[in-house]
Amino acid sequence: MDIPYTVTSRPDTGLYNAKIGIWLFLASEVMLFGGLFSAYIFLRVGADYPWPVWDLDVKLGFWNTVFLIISSVTVVMAWASIKLRKYTQYKLCMLATIACAAIFMVNKSMEYAKKFQHYAVKLTDGTILTGHLPHGYQVKFENVDALELTIVGSNKAVDADPVNHVLSSVVGDVPKFKFPSGEEKELNKATFGELRKSMRDAAFAKMQDERAKMIEAAEKAASVATTDFAKYEAARKLTIAKNYHSLSDTKVKLIPSAPLKIAAKPSQFFGYTDTSLTFVDGTIATGKLVDDKMTLEVDGVDTRAVAQSEQSLAFDHRYLGEGWQKAFVANRDHHIADFEKKYPTRDKAKSATLQKESLFFKEFHSAEPPAAGEAHGGKHGAEAHAPADSHGHEAYHPTVVIEKKDITFFSNFTPKLNTYYAIYFTLTGLHGLHVVAGAGVLAYFLFFNGRMLREDPEHLANRVEVGGLFWHFVDLVWIFLFPLLYLL
Amino acid sequence: MSAAATSHEHAQDHHAHDHHEPGFLRKYVWSTDHKTIGIQYGITGLLFLLFGFFLMLLMRWSIAYPGVPLPAIAEIRAIPGLGDAFESMFGRWMNADGSLNGEIYNMLGAMHGTIMVFFGIVPLGFAAFGNFVMPLQIGTIDMAFPKLNMLSYWFFFISGVLMVYSFFVGTGPVQTGWTMYSPLASTTGIGVTSVWAHGHTWWLTAMVFNISASLLGSVNFIATIINLRTKGMTWMKMPFFCWAMFVIAFLLLLAFPPLEVAAILQLSDRVFGSSFYLPTGLMEGGKHLDISGGGSPLLYQHLFWFLAHPEVYVLILPAFAILSDVIPCNARRPLWGYKSLVYGVLTLGFLSFLVWAHHMYLTGMGTMMSTYFQITTVLISVPSVVLLTCLMVSLWGGSIRFNTQMLFASAFLPMFGIGGLTGLPLAFAFIDLALHDTYYVIGHFHYVVAPGTIFALFAGVYHWYPKITGRFMSDRLGKWHFWPSLIGMNLVFAPMFIQGMAGFHRRWYDGGKYFENTSGFQNWSTTLTHNIGGFFGFNIPDNMLSLNIVMSVGAFILALGQVPFIINFWFSIKGGKKIENDNPWGATTLEWATPTPPPHGNFLFEPVAHRGPYEYSVPGHGADFFPQWETEQGKPETKPTADKALAKH
Amino acid sequence: MSDNIEEIQKSVRKYIIIGIALLALSGFTVWLSTVELPTHGLNILVGMIVATFKASLVALIFMHLNHERPVIYKVLAFTVAFAIVLFVLFILSAQDPLVFEGFYNRNE
Repeated sequence: MDIPYTVTSRPDTGLYNAKIGIWLFLASEVMLFGGLFSAYIFLRVGADYPWPVWDLDVKLGFWNTVFLIISSVTVVMAWASIKLRKYTQYKLCMLATIACAAIFMVNKSMEYAKKFQHYAVKLTDGTILTGHLPHGYQVKFENVDALELTIVGSNKAVDADPVNHVLSSVVGDVPKFKFPSGEEKELNKATFGELRKSMRDAAFAKMQDERAKMIEAAEKAASVATTDFAKYEAARKLTIAKNYHSLSDTKVKLIPSAPLKIAAKPSQFFGYTDTSLTFVDGTIATGKLVDDKMTLEVDGVDTRAVAQSEQSLAFDHRYLGEGWQKAFVANRDHHIADFEKKYPTRDKAKSATLQKESLFFKEFHSAEPPAAGEAHGGKHGAEAHAPADSHGHEAYHPTVVIEKKDITFFSNFTPKLNTYYAIYFTLTGLHGLHVVAGAGVLAYFLFFNGRMLREDPEHLANRVEVGGLFWHFVDLVWIFLFPLLYLL
Repeated sequence: MSAAATSHEHAQDHHAHDHHEPGFLRKYVWSTDHKTIGIQYGITGLLFLLFGFFLMLLMRWSIAYPGVPLPAIAEIRAIPGLGDAFESMFGRWMNADGSLNGEIYNMLGAMHGTIMVFFGIVPLGFAAFGNFVMPLQIGTIDMAFPKLNMLSYWFFFISGVLMVYSFFVGTGPVQTGWTMYSPLASTTGIGVTSVWAHGHTWWLTAMVFNISASLLGSVNFIATIINLRTKGMTWMKMPFFCWAMFVIAFLLLLAFPPLEVAAILQLSDRVFGSSFYLPTGLMEGGKHLDISGGGSPLLYQHLFWFLAHPEVYVLILPAFAILSDVIPCNARRPLWGYKSLVYGVLTLGFLSFLVWAHHMYLTGMGTMMSTYFQITTVLISVPSVVLLTCLMVSLWGGSIRFNTQMLFASAFLPMFGIGGLTGLPLAFAFIDLALHDTYYVIGHFHYVVAPGTIFALFAGVYHWYPKITGRFMSDRLGKWHFWPSLIGMNLVFAPMFIQGMAGFHRRWYDGGKYFENTSGFQNWSTTLTHNIGGFFGFNIPDNMLSLNIVMSVGAFILALGQVPFIINFWFSIKGGKKIENDNPWGATTLEWATPTPPPHGNFLFEPVAHRGPYEYSVPGHGADFFPQWETEQGKPETKPTADKALAKH
Repeated sequence: MSDNIEEIQKSVRKYIIIGIALLALSGFTVWLSTVELPTHGLNILVGMIVATFKASLVALIFMHLNHERPVIYKVLAFTVAFAIVLFVLFILSAQDPLVFEGFYNRNE
């Protein structure tokens, strides 16, 4: 038995079922992206930092726009060709659409990958340094003489798991550990499992012991109770005792046979002091902090949040120093003068572009600061930058070592960095999912609906039309995403 | 047109010779038949309703008897299997003596709200009744997209499993209320680095599945109603039930995506460390959190309530839908004001998108916006009153059959009235500022949803049960179900208004024990409680806290009242009184034209709607009902092509 | 309707022209964003107008909304109305904070 109107249209509405279905689905998609765009507006209006403009790779974004528009044309051509019964053209058009989607996704993943390796460090005065971490960021401890594990009694979210969380951060060979039993053993899954089991068994035995004692005491109290109140209290204590089931946590110390060196990544620990490091599983390593500085190959200095931009902490003698400070000031004044010449009547403080160009310094053309004479940034930069690309541009960025006390916040360019990148990743990520889903559906029509093409082309035309409508919607969302995230 | 006709003939041909029974899995588990899916939704929904109710019983124990161990807690823990499950779901959070504490109270509160709203009432009211009844009423053979329909149920099922599983994970289920307000919800347990060990991740993931299920369902409903109405079933001949389902589907379709956005952004906050809802400089435990800040907690509330207000109408409209069938059928009178009901429900649906921020008066909204939201909120009460009035007037002059479903239906009217009228003051910002988050609000919306919607859902179960199983549910047990429920509901919720106006906050796990010795805590209701208690020999103190005991006793009466229903529901499948014909209630809408139970493909003839859906007691007509499918001569226009014996299959 | 074979044949040319127009408009958008208008808000406004124009080309031509059935227009009209509500009322309520006039000035 068939559902009516799957292929032909119902006369009074003029529509077949799937077309109503897809338009309703698109209506809900409008609300989905509407919600996201509304979140974008909300966050942008309420942002307490300069909203990034032209921060992303516009060239890449533009090419992605081009590919999506081409795919939109080809998908509607595919539908037209199937209606005109030009089957080869239909297949070519569908292939082109899917290829465009693939190129789009490849571009997108390249864009994402770059962001994950790019870092921003916020200093205490509000300056933001951007750049790359040559070796990642690690907190280093030496002379670690003990690991203190907390083995929780019952099944809780955080439980000691040093094999997974601690050993991977040990530098060099892992020595044997002295277990509480006195033996010296390697720390691995099996030995730790044994340890945990024995500790939990002990906790359970202890609990049973305590319970027996509590019950005994309560029964004794009940037997001697004379007043109503005492009887009530004793009975209550007996209930408590009978239900006593709490397994206490056990703390265990593992002593390494030789002092450890530890280098931990931020994802591996909760926090640290000068003498101890707490891993995410609750294990505490005691030792001596040797290094928690951050090495950064700087490719940008954003001083927009600093009142006296040339006094930014980034130009402290420990960091970029005077040479780059001069280059920065020259670059800034050059842009301001340029702006004043171009727009004499406008308010400098209100131009977001000028703020960005003058205060977000990116003109690093060598690892060393330029000599006093040639530091005027701007046009000169283009020539100086030319050799950089052929050598890979890390080489030309000054390396600074930032002390932990000067850092308030750091993150790579992921949703954590700020609300702009958060909404950027959410919007483009969801849009990317739609691209993948849409391309998948179209590929299914192309590769698995061959029989329908021969036997019931009208039905397949409907399917392609519906798939195409979804695809156009994906394109339509990108038409708004591109200027909102990349350009404006 | 012609294609439609052929496909119908085609369908009947199939029926004649196509009798191989699909296997059990195909028929009951991976079914694409709208009726089976409706039943699946119904039973899952009822089970969730029971589960949510059980959570509430635990909460009520804690409120009435704070610090007192649960009765028989040691015995419960000793039950093999079940005891362990109880232990890992609830027991591990309770105090050593088996009494409840704030932590588990918060979990129960959050999960009670979530489960009742998203897993109990919406699936039952919209998905179950809508799926079963709506395609029958518009005379189609199935939904427009049967496979999506199946997918919708299984998405819902997965979301239910995920939600229940959150009881078993490391941190337990969420503790931040069913509204999940950020930043609290984004930062609780922020130290738990394994995201899947945190109940919140499970909650959000479950919600994403639940929302997807709702979207699939609503697309299906709307497409079906637009495109698959049978011959003669014009928009204005469509039963009001279908109109209500149509509007609900639109509410779900357009209001749920913003909640999905809210859930995705909150998930991003938790998993990727972003700051959508976290303002700059947020501190916890005296330390700055490792976040960038710059977000806004208000954004979450807007996105959440943009869904959650239309959701309120998603909860209540199934009740009107069901009663629009139950009341005319049992009053033997046409539905009064069919057109005003239809336009009322459309207006209600439209306005429900424009009122959401009346849940947010306390967020520091300015006078301009709060004036706007007060006006729209008061406006929306007009169509609600139109709906209620039409149902009430329909009773006028009828010869009412007080069977169980009619008892529930007639109890709905005053109960919903109380719920609605107590909501009016809350529409005004200056009153809401005082009553916000008190038991007054709890009382208000529970009166709407619990003795309101749930009563209507019960009425629906009793009404359509014969169509589904071919047997009646017992009327005697039904009355044993109805009266304790009515008494229990009112005992639970009426005292909440009194407590609420005294300022009792909804999140006190000890029911306000801290204020036990505060003076000025007496009024007529507490004195009454004291005197009644004294009459039976109990010493109930004369203060507001005694009302907690009254309410909890009410809850236990309510629990006992559900036992007859459960017995009735399961035993009547095989043991109920058999129906004599396919239209046992003498109803007029098309679902009663099908064999019982309706076979795959529903109708044995092509149904045609000859007249409006509520032609009861038509002057000059022999019987006191004139079904939609009958011609003036009293027989369907198209002769049945298959004989009656086919109906058995 | 679009089921007419000749009409479809004709519209193929139209699709290509619209595609080229969209590409040109994308280039225009990029160029436009480099021009500094008096305020950045104006840049956003102009950019969004161009984007809306592009989007309506896609919707009207590619998605055939220029000749669609009334049911779909009705559904979309409600959707667009609620989406606008989503944009406008969020911002309005955020931009309309409660002001205690005279409350802080009392001590000054």
